[in-house]
Amino acid sequence: MSAKLERLSQILRIVLGGRLRSLTKDRGEIMIEVGAEDYLAAARTLRDHAELRFEQLMDICGVDYSAYGNVACEPGRRFASVLHMLSIEHNWRLRLKVFCPDDNFPAVDSVCDLWPSANWQEREAFDLYGIMYSGHTDLRRILTDYGFVGHPLRKDFPVSGYTEMRYDAETERVIYQPVTIEPRENTPRVVREAGYGDTGHV
Amino acid sequence: MGIDGIFREGFITTSLDTVINWTRTGSLWPVTFGLACCAIEMMHTGMARYDLDRFGIIFRASPRHSDLMVVAGTVTNKMAPAMRRVYDQLAEPRWVVSMGSCANGGGYYHYSYSVVRGCDRIVPVDVYVPGCPPTAEALLYGLLQLQNKIKRTSTIARR
Repeated sequence: MSAKLERLSQILRIVLGGRLRSLTKDRGEIMIEVGAEDYLAAARTLRDHAELRFEQLMDICGVDYSAYGNVACEPGRRFASVLHMLSIEHNWRLRLKVFCPDDNFPAVDSVCDLWPSANWQEREAFDLYGIMYSGHTDLRRILTDYGFVGHPLRKDFPVSGYTEMRYDAETERVIYQPVTIEPRENTPRVVREAGYGDTGHV
Repeated sequence: MGIDGIFREGFITTSLDTVINWTRTGSLWPVTFGLACCAIEMMHTGMARYDLDRFGIIFRASPRHSDLMVVAGTVTNKMAPAMRRVYDQLAEPRWVVSMGSCANGGGYYHYSYSVVRGCDRIVPVDVYVPGCPPTAEALLYGLLQLQNKIKRTSTIARR
């Protein structure tokens, strides 16, 4: 662990204080977790604090932990929104994770006001995972079809989906119909033991 | 008034059907409908090395100019209505060449939730070109097969 990352984690502990749920250092990267209620304030602090200054948001992604490992996830730990941030001023990076408290209606605050680039990233996470970003001004689907049903990257979404498309000669337009093929599993799901394939020289 | 002069100049006889089909095969104007990596091979076929212009095939940017659509690539659900609209805008008579595994039957994405399992679910297809992606020669061969198919059709003769 380099001295620089050590310094960053010390600053994070001091600045975020009680809002910091956990701080993980692994493979030369730092990941912190905050609660959904502190999320927006913590993100603002990370962007504006002179010692941190994460002025650039690289990515937002959703995670569905419902099939993670071989154990069922605890309530309120199913959907997470993960922010990847970069500070050009200090030349360091950070990963910020926040879990959605309600598994049936996953929602967290939007960070569009802090980083405008969050707009499309949050739309993508909404499209694929169904995570609602409250405060987002234009939370539409971004990748899937306009009338799409479901959120494809959720673990309970069937690979072949629920609908398929064909041209209907009578109405002279392209219509959706229920999917007609059987789902297929080519590769069995394997959860490796911890440390599988480690080279020992990370 | 006679045909004496014509005998001196030389002449050929043919049927109107043959002439019409010959003009149609000799000036196929495809609308570019590149959707994925197949479009790159389609470009190869059109450019200098394989030179579709030799066969009177020239890519057009508008379906209103065209009588052929080369569906080159993966047809997603989101793209399907747009593809059908482009097909409806093609001038009659019109033909469709399905290029590559994805357009033929979904290919690699056959089991996907967002891909049409073959563009023949959306538009009627005349020639299927297999491959992933098909080589430029393969597409060229498919287009020549389409020309053969057009030559076989009877345009004005009653059955």
